Order: sequence, then C-alpha cells, then structure tokens
Amino acid sequence: MARLGRYLLAPVLGALMTTTGFAQGAMTDVGTPRSETLIVQAFDGRSANPSAQNPLNSYAIWRGFRELGWSFLWEMDTATGESYPELADGFPEVLNDERTQFRVKLREGVYWSDGVEFTADDVIYTLETAFKYREQLTNVATVTNYVKSWNKVDDYTFEIETVRPAYDFTTVLGVYTWGSQFNIVPKHIFEPLGDEVVTFQNAPAVTLGPYKIREFDPNGFWQLWELREDWERSGWGNLGEPKPRYILYKDFGTEETRALAFVQNQYDVDTFMSPDSIDAAKARNPNIETFSPTFPYHDMNDACSYGIYINGQKAPFDMPEVRWALALTVNLQQVGISAMSGQFKAGALPLADTPITGPLYYDELRSFLEELTLADGYKPFNPNFGAELAETLAAQGVDASQLPSGDAIRDGFGMGWWKHDPEQAASLLESVGMVKGADGYFALPDGSPWTFELVIPGDWNKVMQRIGFSIADSWRQAGFNVSARQVDNGEFTTVQNTNSRNELQLNWSNSCTYNSNWQNSWRQFTPNNVQPADSTDQLSGNYMRITDERIFDLVAESASLETNAPEFIENGRQIARYLVEDMQMINLMNIPTTIPTNSTYWTNFPKQDNFYATPYTWWSSFKQTVVRIEPTGQQ
Amino acid sequence: MGVMRYVAKRLGLYLAVLFIGLTITFLLPRLMPINPVDGYIGQIQSRANGSISAEAIAELRVNLEQLYGLEGDLFTQYLAYLKRVVLNFDFGPSFTYYPQPVSAMILNALPWTLGLLLMSTFIAWVMGNMVGLVAGYFHRKKAASVLEFVGILLYPIPYYILAVTVLLLLAYVFPIFPLSATFPVGQMTPEKFGMIIYNSLLPGITLVLAGFGWNILSMKALAVATTEEPYVTYARLKGASNWMRMTRYVFRNALLPQVTALALSLGMVFNGALLTEMIFSYPGIGLVMRTAATGGDYNVLYGAITLSIIAVATAGLVIDLIYPLLDPRIRHR
Repeated sequence: MARLGRYLLAPVLGALMTTTGFAQGAMTDVGTPRSETLIVQAFDGRSANPSAQNPLNSYAIWRGFRELGWSFLWEMDTATGESYPELADGFPEVLNDERTQFRVKLREGVYWSDGVEFTADDVIYTLETAFKYREQLTNVATVTNYVKSWNKVDDYTFEIETVRPAYDFTTVLGVYTWGSQFNIVPKHIFEPLGDEVVTFQNAPAVTLGPYKIREFDPNGFWQLWELREDWERSGWGNLGEPKPRYILYKDFGTEETRALAFVQNQYDVDTFMSPDSIDAAKARNPNIETFSPTFPYHDMNDACSYGIYINGQKAPFDMPEVRWALALTVNLQQVGISAMSGQFKAGALPLADTPITGPLYYDELRSFLEELTLADGYKPFNPNFGAELAETLAAQGVDASQLPSGDAIRDGFGMGWWKHDPEQAASLLESVGMVKGADGYFALPDGSPWTFELVIPGDWNKVMQRIGFSIADSWRQAGFNVSARQVDNGEFTTVQNTNSRNELQLNWSNSCTYNSNWQNSWRQFTPNNVQPADSTDQLSGNYMRITDERIFDLVAESASLETNAPEFIENGRQIARYLVEDMQMINLMNIPTTIPTNSTYWTNFPKQDNFYATPYTWWSSFKQTVVRIEPTGQQ
Repeated sequence: MGVMRYVAKRLGLYLAVLFIGLTITFLLPRLMPINPVDGYIGQIQSRANGSISAEAIAELRVNLEQLYGLEGDLFTQYLAYLKRVVLNFDFGPSFTYYPQPVSAMILNALPWTLGLLLMSTFIAWVMGNMVGLVAGYFHRKKAASVLEFVGILLYPIPYYILAVTVLLLLAYVFPIFPLSATFPVGQMTPEKFGMIIYNSLLPGITLVLAGFGWNILSMKALAVATTEEPYVTYARLKGASNWMRMTRYVFRNALLPQVTALALSLGMVFNGALLTEMIFSYPGIGLVMRTAATGGDYNVLYGAITLSIIAVATAGLVIDLIYPLLDPRIRHR
C-alpha cells in the first residue's frame, strides 16, 4: 500500500516541483520578462467573447483596444479637458457659417500594425461601410446619426458634412474622456470581405497604436500586447516612447485573489478594489500605493457623478417639496462613512466636481448654493459639510495628519452638500399634506400608505450597492417606507429606460460632464425623450426624466454655440440652477475610483500630486501613462 | 419483450422530458425582468458615458430587435425556436456578443468544464466510496471513526470557504499553485499541456475535497447497513475472508445507489461550477451562463440550459438502461 502511495504521489510532486518555477520566476505566466511587462487588472474582468475585435460591431474597448490598439482623430488631455490632434494633423477646418462642413487633414507617415500606410481611404471606407450596413452593424449608430456626407480630397485630406451644426466635432468623431465612437478600420483588411464585414470577428485585429496584439486567451482571461518595432510611425507614436515592451491585461479573479496577487507583485495596477482590500494589501506590501497619500485616498476625477434619479412624472415625486424632503433626509456624511469609509467627494450640483469642472461650475455657483432659499425661507445648503466630515472622521480615530484641512477640505471632500435636517423635511411634507401615520411612516396626501423603492445595482457595482442601502437606511430612519432593491445590470437598464417601472434609481448616466461641454450628457434633455408617466415604451435618453421646458430651451439654444463659449457655459450653469432649485435629481458625489498601484516593477503612475492624466487603465488616456512610467530595474 | 417495453417506455419518457424542458427553457428567460436589447444599449451607453444621441439609440434598438429575432409574437418566436433547435441544434447568435454563434461559445467553454468536473467528480466518487466502504465495513474499529471524521469534517464546509482556504494555503502561504490560472494558447505542446494540468490542479483538488466528504458518509452508511445483512453473516460463517466479504458481498450491493448518484452528478456537470470558475479564474460553462443570465442573452441561456437538460435527462436514461445489468432483480421482474 505504501509503495502504491509513493507511486501515485511521485508524478504529482514532480509536476509541482517543475512548475513552481513558473509562479515564482522573473517571467510572467505568459512567457514575457516581468521587468519589461506592465500588468494591469482588466477593467471588465473576464471577456466572454475575446475574439470579437471588430469595432464596427461589438466595440472591443477594454483589454487594451482603446487604450493601446485603436487610434483616434483627436484625443483628449484628461489632465486639462482639452482636445489635441492624434491621427489628424491639427484641428478641423470649418468650411461654412452653419458649421456643418469640415475639412480634416491627416498626419502623414502613420502605418497600421501590419505595415500598410494609414490614409484618408481608411476613413472614407469606414464611413461608407457604416452607412451601407447601418442596419446590421451594432456600433455605428452614433456616426450614422451625426454624419451626412463625406468626400476624399487627397490621400491625407477628407471633408465631412454633419447632419446638424456641429460644435462638438472633435469630441464626437474624436475622444470625449474615455474613447471614441468613431473607430477607423483598415480598408485593406475589411474591404475584401465584402458583405461579410457585418459578421467579421477581426481577431487578431490589425491596429494603429504603437502596440499590437501578441496573444490573447480565447477564454477571455488575458490579452497580451507587444510594442511595435515601428512604434514611432504608429497612430500616437509622436507622443513619445512607450516604456513597457509588453502590456498584459488580465483578470485576476475575485477581489480576494486579486488582493493576494497584488501583494505578491503579480501585477501593477488594479481597478475598483475595495478600500478595505487596499488597506489590507498596503499593510503587507509597502510598494502598494493609493491615488492620494491623504484622505480621501482614491481618485475622484471621473467624468460622472452618482445621484438619485427621481421620476418626477409620478406622484408624489412630482412635488418639489417631496424631492427636497428626500434630499434633506439623506445623511450623506453617514452614507459616505459607512459605504466608503469616508472616502468620497460630495457634490450638490448635477455633475462631478473635478479640477476641470470645479472652476467652471462649482466655484461659479458657490454663492447660488449658499444663498439658495426654499419657499418657506429655509436655506438648505451646508458649506461646512467637508469640515464636519473631517471632524467626524478624526473623532472616529482617523489620523489627523491624513485628513485634509483648510482649503484642502474643499478639494478633498467637496464644496459642501445639503443639510441633514429631517425636521425641515417633515415640515416640507406636512406643507403638502403628507404626515406620519401611526406606523411611523409618512403617508400620501390622501392618507393612504406611501411605499416606494430605490433601485440600486447588485454585486456588479458594490460601491453603489453599499451607497444605495445606506441611503435607504437614512430614509427609513426619517420615516420613509422605502426598500432598496438591488438588480442585475440588465434589469438596471430596463428600469432606467422604462417609466412604468421607475420611481427612484441610484444612477450616473446623465451626470457625465468632463469639461465645459455639458452637452455630452445633457443634450438628452429634449421633449423627444419624454414619455407618459406610466409608459412601457423605452426611453432613449433623459434618464433623469427632465420635463422642464426652460431646460429644453437652453439645450436647444446651446446646440449652436461653441462648447467652450462663455454663453454656452452659462447656459450649463443655468440648467444646473434649475435642476437644483426644484431638486429634480439629488446629486451625491463624484464617482470614487480606486486605482491602487504597485511600484515594484514600474513607477511614476498618475497620482494626485502627479496628475499628468487620469489614472484609469481603461480610458484611452492610458497612453499617457505608458509613455511616462519608468521601470524600476527590479528583475 | 419485457425488456423492449421497458426500454421503449424509458425512451418515450426521455423524449417527453426533453420537449417539456425545451418549452420551459424558451419561456423562462422571457419572464425575466430583463430585455436583452436594453441590456446591450445600456452597456453601450455606459461605455459612452451617456453620450450616444437619442436618435442613435432609437436606430440601434430597431436594428437589434431585427438581428436578435425578437420581432413577432411569442408563438411565432417559439415555433422558430423549436425548428432551429430540433432540426439544426442552432441557437442563433449571442445577443450580448453579436454575431458570435451560441454554439461556438458553448463549445469553447465545454471542454474546460468537462475536463475539470468529470475528472474531479469521478476521483471524488472513487476515493469517497473506497474510504466509505472501509469505514463502513470496519465500523466497529476506532480507525474507521477517523475515516468517518474526515467525511464529517469536509462535508459541511461551505464550498466558498473551502475554496478560499485551499487557495490561501496552497497559493499564498505556500505558493505552490498560481492564485489565478493562466492557460497557454496556440499549438498544444507537452509543456503547454503540463501548464494546463498545473493550472487546473488547485480547482480540481478543491472540487475533490468538496465531493469527497459526501461520498464517504453516504457509502459508509450503506456499507454499515449492508454488513448487517444475513447473506453477509452467512458468508462469514461460510469462511469467506474479510476482503471477499467487503468487496464481493458488501461493496457490490451498496454500490447501486452510489452509481445513481454518480450518474446524476455527471449529468449535472454540464451546469458547470460557477463558484469554482469565479474563484479560480477557470474558464467554463458556468461563467458563460452567468453572463448570459445577467445580460438577458436569451440565446446563450437556451443553448446552455438545453444542453444541461439533455445531459441530465440522458444521464437518467442511461441509469435506467444499465440498471438491469447491475441489478438482476430488475432484469427478472
């Protein structure tokens, strides 16, 4: 028996001894030198269909495609919010007063990863294909609704006419924050396919960026990119030399295994790891760093903000008193501490408060917020929200040296938020005939029970899930019979789109403004995007369910203004005022994003005090990171 | 004639189960509060930070409904579905990953699931039954209690806790195995095959440990009961050795319920092992089904669930057909 045991164990032990080296050595699991490989946790985790690399269909956006592979006509400097030319040679020339005709010049000497030169023919072919197969291709609708006609002038010049006056030409056909809806495909690869382009998988894709696909896991767990030898003549080779020879996007699995792998230096940049896991990892590995060395430790510069979207078309949410009562009973300090350990930046306006939007909108509207007065004379804004949060955190044992003070409080915790004042909320509700019943909950004006639900994401967005439960808790304590219902992302979208199923939802999709161009998100506020209160038809935008004619007028008027013109920005501020005055949505906070980095193999990642670009590995601005990071020499 | 009638009856039942299963499979996803078109549009809008115009979304919605075959009433869709599935075993394209065919997605995932789960289920069954048999046959001895203790210890541990514990122990404290699997791609070589085995060992060990306990306890209980049967006592009085009594008298008779359990377990293998796949980053049908369920990808759900129904029903049919071979009482009924 013992002999049998040894016989069985021998091959197992042998296999372990010979393969342990793979887990321990200086080579990565995919056979590249670790010191030359930047490894990042894939933003979307495992890809269910990694072979889908045709940008005209399922848009291959993460795993390196929009960050390293595709290249765009204009890119955005995410540190400033300004556009800059990438494939284009300068900004477009406007050809008519209506601003519907544009001439674009391309940079010469740009080549696809297979060595064929990139020219205007590729752009023209992409447009022709998008229009020819617009009913079969699933990722061309933005372009086909924006562009009217086009023509080639020469190999490096083309002209485009848009359907409407286009003041956002460089950000619709180029990048607004994260990537572009206009992905140019190589004509020499796609054209021979004829009608089969609609089902073409395009794997491995021929790309324009300085990296090309070396290998990818057909099961979707990892994708390996390799620096092209001719990177200088790639789509953004003029940005500088990318430092890693290889970049590996990999899904390291559940948060538990990711934290352990991070501690073991198996990868360099994580995404959305929870603050608790980051604390645990930092305690075990001094090379693990958060975005900011002081509270709040994490990045707050996402384009979008979290907010409670209210279906104001439904009673009793159609009454501003009710909406204000909801806002004044959210104990945001408690919500932020319990859901995110106090690491959040509050925002009272319906957009994120970032270094770019802060000066444009928040600073300019500070006095409006401070002087805002409800009908009964009550001033709801609390400009000391940040200072009070810092005090509470200090009282709870957070090291005072880690907390912001003085002017830094505004940068860290925001300019302020609404007072937590359940008594005032009760007064507002009583003014419209809603009083607490014997069960301790507020009733409807006719005395019948008032129950409602707040729809929040399930496990697929744990930060929002925690925030949602915490808000519901605040409301229940204030006397609202609310239930927080967590849903999968498919149902989340259905609820978002369907009036009949929507009351309140924790959402972010209409509060995404990255720079002066608020049209990116608020252009959806049009009468076309309004359905009857109980409609089962799907909305195609305006998920905040704005019905305010004043706002519709401002949106329409702004469509013919430069997106950085003072009048345009002022219109945006006025929309923000209208939304706030009637509390048409309750904005909560910037989206907090945890991007811990491990500096064992690479340094000079974007940080709060080194903000050369947003730190996101899934935005196309990641190209700035790969150009600026440096190897540590660790083998 | 009796055997023929028995087989025909089982086959008829098998076909009826498949038909009912297919019909329920068609209806169930449509009762979910998810619309695949909305799901896809939501993904696109989310990626675009809400920047896609209303006109573009309206156009996309019409196109997707056409492409996904979601036009027409429910009955028309049902007939088209039965025709495609029964005649061509074609589940159409994935909605979420259009135009990838569902069959390709399932075929990619299935070998990984089968390789891991068939092997680990079988190993856990063999080892559990062997240990359970010894523990049951020698149940009056102290050493048998130790073996039973292993089963009692392992069986109640929630799988997630067991998996994370094994992971912590064998991939972090003693970093023998990788924390997350990395499977090589391209032409298969002996080295790459070794990497696949190496990367699969940890999830395999965890699954064996999880299945091991139940098999020990189950077989032990059966063996104890069988040991007390008069024919075993008679064999002992006749002078048959312990080995002979344990293997020929006790094991063969205690085996029948265990074979049923094994066959059903093997049928369930087609459902995948979602937790294992998630915790160990292991590719498989469980993750495919999860993605499909959360995204309202009807076609992928049809494909995966239909396969599972066929597998479980076929396992049941196989048990019914081989039982007469294992149990002469059925053969001679």
